[in-house]
Amino acid sequence: MLRIVLSTVRHRKAGFAGAFVALLCAAALVCACGVLLDTGLRGSVAPERYAGAPVVVTGDQFVHQTKIKKKGKVKHKAKAIAERAWLPASTADAVRAAGARDVVTEVAFPAEIGTAPDESWGHGWESAALTPFTLREGRAPAAPDEIVVDAATARANGLRPGSRVRVASAEPGSYRVSGVTRQALKDQAAIFFTTAEARRLAGHPGQVTAIGATGSKAAIAAALRGTRATVHTGADRGRAEFPGAERSRIKLISMGGALGGTALLVAILVVSGTFALSVQQRQREIALLRAVAATPRQVRRMIGREALLIGLAAGPLGAAAGLPLAFWLRDRFRGLGALPPNLDLVVSPFPPAAAAVAAIVAAVAAARIAGRRTARIRPVEALGDAAMAPARLGVARTAAGLLVLAGSVVLTIVLAGLHTEAAASPVTMLTALAWTVAVALLGPVIARAAVAVLAVPLRAFPVAGHLAAANLGAGARRLASVITPLTLMIGLTATILFAQTTTGRAAVRQATGGTLAAHVAGPKIPHGTAEAIRRTPGVAAVTEVVHSTVRVGLENYGVQGVTTAGLDKTMDLDVRKGDIKALDPSSIAVSTTAASRLHVGPGDTLRLTLGDGTPAALKVVAVYGRGLGFGDLTVAHDLLAAHVDDPRGTVLIAGTAPESVPTVSASTLAEDTASANAEVNYIAMGLIIAFTAIAVVNTLAMSTAGRARELAVLRLSGATRRQITRMLGGETLAVVLVAGVLGTAIALATLTAFGRGMTGGGPSVPPLAHLGVIAWGGLLAAAATALPARLAMRTRPADAVGARE
Amino acid sequence: MDEAVRMDAVSKVYGKGRGAVAALREVSAGIPRGRFTAVMGPSGSGKSTFLHCAAGLDSPTSGSVRLGDTELSGMNETKLTELRRQRVGFVFQAFNLVSSLTVEQNITLPLRLARTRVDRKWLDEVVERVGLSERLGHRPAQLSGGQQQRVAIARALVTRPEVVFGDEPTGALDTMTARDVLTLLRETVDAMGQTVVMVTHDPVAASYADTVLFLADGRIADAMDAPSSDKVAARMTRLGAWN
Repeated sequence: MLRIVLSTVRHRKAGFAGAFVALLCAAALVCACGVLLDTGLRGSVAPERYAGAPVVVTGDQFVHQTKIKKKGKVKHKAKAIAERAWLPASTADAVRAAGARDVVTEVAFPAEIGTAPDESWGHGWESAALTPFTLREGRAPAAPDEIVVDAATARANGLRPGSRVRVASAEPGSYRVSGVTRQALKDQAAIFFTTAEARRLAGHPGQVTAIGATGSKAAIAAALRGTRATVHTGADRGRAEFPGAERSRIKLISMGGALGGTALLVAILVVSGTFALSVQQRQREIALLRAVAATPRQVRRMIGREALLIGLAAGPLGAAAGLPLAFWLRDRFRGLGALPPNLDLVVSPFPPAAAAVAAIVAAVAAARIAGRRTARIRPVEALGDAAMAPARLGVARTAAGLLVLAGSVVLTIVLAGLHTEAAASPVTMLTALAWTVAVALLGPVIARAAVAVLAVPLRAFPVAGHLAAANLGAGARRLASVITPLTLMIGLTATILFAQTTTGRAAVRQATGGTLAAHVAGPKIPHGTAEAIRRTPGVAAVTEVVHSTVRVGLENYGVQGVTTAGLDKTMDLDVRKGDIKALDPSSIAVSTTAASRLHVGPGDTLRLTLGDGTPAALKVVAVYGRGLGFGDLTVAHDLLAAHVDDPRGTVLIAGTAPESVPTVSASTLAEDTASANAEVNYIAMGLIIAFTAIAVVNTLAMSTAGRARELAVLRLSGATRRQITRMLGGETLAVVLVAGVLGTAIALATLTAFGRGMTGGGPSVPPLAHLGVIAWGGLLAAAATALPARLAMRTRPADAVGARE
Repeated sequence: MDEAVRMDAVSKVYGKGRGAVAALREVSAGIPRGRFTAVMGPSGSGKSTFLHCAAGLDSPTSGSVRLGDTELSGMNETKLTELRRQRVGFVFQAFNLVSSLTVEQNITLPLRLARTRVDRKWLDEVVERVGLSERLGHRPAQLSGGQQQRVAIARALVTRPEVVFGDEPTGALDTMTARDVLTLLRETVDAMGQTVVMVTHDPVAASYADTVLFLADGRIADAMDAPSSDKVAARMTRLGAWN
């Protein structure tokens, strides 16, 4: 049995190459996603700043919720907060009282010299011992205008003791370098001020970011029980040091999972299509085996073994290729700032092993799906030149198709009710996939209906068109098998591309429409600079804006903090109810979507957790329409600025802007934030699109190559190469048209639901871009048909006809 | 007389309702053991269906088919397959061989599928008889049409079947090659006592048989022992085969 399988695979390399390539790519994708997922689950960031302190105490970076379910089960959920949580300075006393020695407190705040790395923090010199930092030259800062810089910053900016330098921060100023440290940190710059100056710049009076100590973790943890302080030791200190890396880690889990799952589903769809086509092309051979002596079970097993063999070859190879792919993804994500440079990939044998197994399982599952058909191949078909059985849809397949169709409708309805990106993104992919699977299952029916429509215009072309129409009509099943991957590609690509434009465009439109100010400066303008602009003659109004994310319950909401004076001249939030002028540090304005989701209106109180973990209860004073463009929540600038890492923000200027401040157009800022997010998605999903493109080429090439004999017969009966090329062109055009219509319908259904949930509006599909997607699909299809056809027609037609297959 | 296959009142109807076509109508016939039987008839007379039903490739709509002592009607597909690979051999018009397998692998394919050990002596004898000893390692594409049919005959014989069925086994061959193949079939009957049933439309081919059954319009129209090609041709003309 195995020998038959082996020699079949060896003999029919071309037919199996398609499945092999598809499985190889799937294994590589799944492996790369697995590495991302693994990194998300187990990745850790080594402590740098806190490396010298055995125990580190920081604020709690999570909001918690305890739900009591029925049967008395308690479920505890924790979600990461967006900013660094601060601790009361008195916590240090509690740590000391617990018997800890060398207790050191630290404040950290954004501060930069020159072009600084992404992580550049100012501290008080008293916390140098946490690393520990020691002086190479000079002395510790003694006066408020003195600083010590780390070795790398000193080198990059040519600083020596005695140099004067401007330090950018919430309150920028000019400082004199009093010393340079011996050490430098790998991923961050450190600038040390005097203790008092650091406290002033940090802007959190009576609070610290971390406490380092030497002592027993258990004793310290016991002493701090009941407060919002958390205790870290070992590698865990890295998490405390880099809350941003922690958030990226969590994002990796969901992205790796969604991407890997999508890749696997696409793989099964594509590979089962390839196997089905190969079974179809070998119908006569299988019929012969059946007539000679093989039971349907044996034939199914034979096909299963072939698949297993191909899976065994493709799985490990693809998994191996997945590792470099993971590193490539890492570099791309780092380039976009989606992955911090100090969170390195966790490379373990699990993801490649899982990917290899997944590929093998996918191959066998695909073969099982394809193999169902073989049971219906009748041995009589091997006799003589009997015509192949016409396409008849099995009851099971029709039932499955209708079931998946119903599932797609349900998913689409569910999607329309999802309001957060984290929830909607994976469901969007799943919805598009489910629709495609339904199309794949009901393919022959759809193909026949489509052919009936398309045959009319095709017949207008006398020779080639007529032949093409006849071929399409006779080969509904073959047509269905090439339509599926093309539909998948067009539908998936359009969904991925235009999901971004649907939210992005709406946000940019709202941001542009709502920005009345003529000029926007940003993104890191300190409060003092804004004040200076405000006093400049010709400036009518200045609004300072900071952004952050808060949690209401466990759910994320984007929030902006704005200064209210002159707000009507700079920003139009499209207030529907209440009065935005009443906004003060104890109140909040909410968007219409947030209002309906949270069931609040003017006069109600909204309880939320600010970015740094501080709970707040704010009175709703207004409801506004432009939530997508400006954020779902709006609070007073001073309230929000006190609870973010970096209180600097953008500035909207009405009137004539002073020339000293570089400004940008209003939409640029909105687009920038939207596009960074979009690009991460494009890269990840681009891989899946590339994968489906491979599937399209695969299937079409296989299908055309399998028709060598038929083409030879046509040539022998007098068709010129030109006529045949035109005939194939007509068929391909029909395939592209049908797939284009189906793919567009799938994308539109999915995006409409997505748009309704996310923006409350319709989808935004730029027609030219969409036509581009279809044209790209058409180009692929044409190339994948023309090349194998040319190859097939290279042999003399008489020889091709004589060939037994 | 001892019969290898016995058909009683066998009918086969394709399709349903008004579009139904009866290919066989209440056919009763016996295939004598150890002899060469040809089945002839004009196109559409039901001769292929006759063969399919007799060989267990297709199930009749009604009636009974017995292979030896075994009743075929009512068997499921797997049972029928197992029966075919143990007790029946086939030679088709063309596309007889699996192109990815060598001659030897093609010949032993039924044994392999049945997980039976290959009887080397018997295999050698069969291969010798069909004259393929030199060709065992070749692939079908490297053989001529006649040689391919010899491989198919060898494959049909290798399981020592009760009956070998041929569906136009010489239909795709030239006259000379066809004569060789027919002689080979005749030899298996005479020298090995094999039962052979062959569907054909060629009176010359039919003249190699011991008995010819004539089918017309789904019924047995006539039978002829010790046929000659002239007598068969004359009978066929009366059946309206060449109108």
